[in-house]
Amino acid sequence: MDLYIMQAVSGVSVGFSLFMVASGLVIIFSILQVLNIAHGAFYMVGSYLCFWVVQIILSGVPANISFPIALIAAAVLAALFGGVVELSIIRPIYKSEPLYQMILTFGLAYVIADLCRFLWGMNFYTVTMPTFLAGPLVVGNLYLPKYNVFLIGVGLFIYIALLLIFNKTKVGMILRATTTDREMMNALGWNVKWISTFAFMLGIFLASLGGALAAPMNSVGPGIDAAVLVNCFIVVVVAGFGSIGGALVSAILLGLVNSFGIIFIPRVATAIPFIFMVIVLIVRPWGLFGKPIRTW
Amino acid sequence: MEYLNKIGRSRVFGWGAIVVVLVVMCLLPFVLSGGWLSSVTEMLILALAGLAVNLIVGYGGMVTFGHAGLYAVGSYAFALLELSLGVPFAIAMILAPFITAIAGAVVGWFCVRLTSHYFALLTMAFGMIIWAIINSWYSVTNGDNGLFGIPIPEMLKSIPSYYYFTLIVVTVSAIIMKVILSSPYGVILRAIRENSTRVNFLGVNVRNYKWLTFTLSAFFIGIAGALFAGFTNSVFPQFAYWTKSGEFLVVVLLGGMFSFIGPMVGSVLFVFLDKVITAYTVYWPFVLGMILILCTILFRAGIVGFISEKVLRQGDRQ
Amino acid sequence: MSEDKCVQPLLEIKGLGISFGGLQAVKDVHFDVYERQLLSIIGPNGAGKTTLFNLLTGHLKPNTGHVIFDGKNITGKSPDQISRMHIGRSFQKTSLFPRISVYENIQVAILTSRGKSLNLFSPARDMYREEVYQVLETVGLKENVNSIAGSLPHGAQRRLEIGITLASRPRVVLLDEPAAGLSPEETESLTQLIQMLARDQQLTIVFIEHDVGVVISISEKIMVLHHGELIANDVPSEIVKNKEVQRVYLGEESIWNS
Repeated sequence: MDLYIMQAVSGVSVGFSLFMVASGLVIIFSILQVLNIAHGAFYMVGSYLCFWVVQIILSGVPANISFPIALIAAAVLAALFGGVVELSIIRPIYKSEPLYQMILTFGLAYVIADLCRFLWGMNFYTVTMPTFLAGPLVVGNLYLPKYNVFLIGVGLFIYIALLLIFNKTKVGMILRATTTDREMMNALGWNVKWISTFAFMLGIFLASLGGALAAPMNSVGPGIDAAVLVNCFIVVVVAGFGSIGGALVSAILLGLVNSFGIIFIPRVATAIPFIFMVIVLIVRPWGLFGKPIRTW
Repeated sequence: MEYLNKIGRSRVFGWGAIVVVLVVMCLLPFVLSGGWLSSVTEMLILALAGLAVNLIVGYGGMVTFGHAGLYAVGSYAFALLELSLGVPFAIAMILAPFITAIAGAVVGWFCVRLTSHYFALLTMAFGMIIWAIINSWYSVTNGDNGLFGIPIPEMLKSIPSYYYFTLIVVTVSAIIMKVILSSPYGVILRAIRENSTRVNFLGVNVRNYKWLTFTLSAFFIGIAGALFAGFTNSVFPQFAYWTKSGEFLVVVLLGGMFSFIGPMVGSVLFVFLDKVITAYTVYWPFVLGMILILCTILFRAGIVGFISEKVLRQGDRQ
Repeated sequence: MSEDKCVQPLLEIKGLGISFGGLQAVKDVHFDVYERQLLSIIGPNGAGKTTLFNLLTGHLKPNTGHVIFDGKNITGKSPDQISRMHIGRSFQKTSLFPRISVYENIQVAILTSRGKSLNLFSPARDMYREEVYQVLETVGLKENVNSIAGSLPHGAQRRLEIGITLASRPRVVLLDEPAAGLSPEETESLTQLIQMLARDQQLTIVFIEHDVGVVISISEKIMVLHHGELIANDVPSEIVKNKEVQRVYLGEESIWNS
C-alpha cells in the first residue's frame, strides 16, 4: 500500500512538472493560434540554462543559493530569447495557414536543439540538487522524495497563479479576450501583436521553468526535447486544447498512469502514455475537455 | 498568389524531359562510382518517400509529422517477413507496402477525425507510438539494436543492380501516383486542400476521402521503407523517430509541394546537401531547420515553384 | 403560376428554430417553396438569414422544427448527405478553391455530382469538358477558364461561386447574398443572371439579399426575416406596403419610395 502511495506521489509530481510545460503550450496556442512545436526545445534550453548557472557560472556557490537563482535566470533568459524568436520568426507567419506555421515551428525546434548542442555539446550533465530539497520526506511509513513534493508545490502555485492572472487581473482579461476574438481586440485598439509576443514569452517562461525544475531530477542532454514534447502533445491531445485546468487534469492523469503502468506492465513502459492517449481518443476524439469538432 | 498561376500548369518539364532524365538515370552506373551510385539510390528512395508524404501535405493540405512511423513499418515489415518468417525477397517486398497501408489505415482512422493542428499532433504521437513499439518489443524487433543481415537475392547484391531495381520500382510507383493524382480523385483531393467545407457540401464525405489518402500514402511510403531496408540490409527504430518525419518535410518543402516533381527535386537536393554539409560541420539539423524556416517564410512553393515562376514569367502574360 | 395547391411544395420549412446560448437566432420559421419559384429572403444584418440557410443545408442542427424536401424529412442530415439530394448552395463569404484553376473549380462540382469521386485511375483533365464550358458560359466566365480562381476579381469570383453551385445540378439553389461586395453594374448583371437561370434552366431559387432593390424586381415572393422571425412572406407589391417591414427597414425607406 505504501508503495502505491509513493508511486502516486511520484506520478502526481511528474504530472505537475509536465503541466507547467504543457500550460505554456496551451497559452501560446490559445492566444497566437500557433502550435509551438519548438516547445520541447525551449524546455531543453531551460534545463541547459539551469545546469549552466548552477554548475558552471555559480559553481562555487552552494546549490541552495545557486539553484533558485538558476531557476529564475533560466526562465527569464529563455523568455527573452523567446521574445526575440517571436518577433523575428513567428510574427511574419501570424496570418498564414496552420500548415506553414507548424512546419516553421518544427524547423525552429531543430534549430534551437542544435544551438544547445553547439553551446553545450553532446554530453549528459547532472545538476546538483540543493540540499534542502534533497532526500526523503518521512511521513509515517512513507518515504516521499522532497523534490517530488517540491514539484507538486511549485506546480500548484503556478496553476493558482495562472488562474488568478487570467481571471482576476487586467492583463489576464486582455489575454482571454484575445483568445476569443483577435479581430475584435484589434478593432478595439489593442495592439494584438504585442499581446501575442507577451503571451509567447509567458508560454516560453513556463516551458523553460519546467525544464529548469526538471534538471536536478533528470539528466540534461540531447533528446530531452523530444521526450517532453511528445508528452506535452499527449497531454494536450487527451485534454483537448483550450483549458489550463484541463491540461492539469490530463497531465496528472498521465503522470499517474505512467507511474502505475511501470509497476504493472513494465515491459511496455515506454508505450504506456501512447496507449493511454489512444484509448482516450477512441472514446472522445476531441479530448476529455475539448469541444466536439466537425471534421470538414 | 500570382506565381500559383504558373505552377498549376507548369509544363517546364514535358514528356521529352522525362525520357531524357530516365535515359540518363539508366546510364549512371557506367559513369558513377559505387559511392555516388549509392547516394543516387538513396535519393530515389527518399524521392518516393517524399512523393508519398506530398500526397498528404501538398495535395491533401494536411501536415503530418508521423510519416516516419509508417516508413519504419514498411522497413520492419519487410525485414521481419524475411528474417522471422522466411518469406522470399520478392514476396516480402510486395507484402510490406500492403502491411504499411493497413497500419496507415489504422492510424489514419484516428487522425482524420480531427483537423489541422490536432491532426498534426496526432500524427506525431502515432509516429512515436510506432517508435515506442519497435523500440520496446525486443522479442520481435530486437529493440534498439535493430535488425541486421536482411537477405537480398544474389543478383541484387551489387550496388548497380540494386540501383536498377530501385530505379524500376520507384519509376513505376511514381507513374502510378501520377495517374492517381491526375484522376478525379486527385482533382477532388486538391479541392479538399483548398476548401474542405465546400467539398463537403458538394456531396463528398471528406473524412473518408482523407482516410483513403492517408492509406494510399502509407502504401507508397511502405515501398520506400522496404526498399531502404533492402538497400542497407538493416533496420533501426530511428527510422520511426519524429526527426525523420522532419526530413521528409524538408524534401517536400524544399523541392516544392505544389508540383508532382517537387519532392523528387527536393530529395536530390537533400541528399546532396546532407553529404556536402556533413563534411564541413556536424550542425546539419541546424541547417535543416533553417531551410524549413526559410521555406515557410519565403519559398512556399519550394525550388520548383521558384523556378516555375521565374521561367514562366518571362513567357506568357496572364 | 406555382401556387397550384394540388402540387406538393418542393421544400417545406416547418417551425424551424435554433438558439445559441441564450440567443434565439431563428425562431419558428414556416414557409414553403414550390418548384421553379424564385423567392428571396431579406432582412437587416443579424436577422438570421444565413443561419436559416445553414439550418437547411445541414451545417447547423435545429432545436425545433423540420425541413421536408421532396416529401422526405431532411432535418439534421449532414451537409454532404443534403448535397447529394441535389440541394445546392452558394456562400456569402466567397467559398472557392483559390489555388486551382476556374476550370477545375467547376470540374470538381461536376465530378462529385456525377459520382466520380472515387475514380482513381482515369485521367480527369478532359472529363466533362463540355459541361464545364457550358456552366462557364452560363455565368459568363468562359474567358477566365484557365485563370487561378484566387486571382480573379471579386465580381468574377461571385459568379464562379454560383457556377460551382450550378455545376452540381441541383434542383433547389440557395444563394446567400450572391451580390455581396459587388458594384451596382455587377449587381445588375448578376440579377439578370439569376433571372435567366430561373427562366431558362428552370431552377428553383431562393436567395438572400441585403439589397432590397435587387430583390423587388425579380422575386415572385419576398420573405422578410427580423431577429430570426419571419415577419412577412408575400409578393413584392404587398411587401412594399407592409408597415412592419417598413419599420424594420427604418432608414432605408427611400428604397420603398422609389
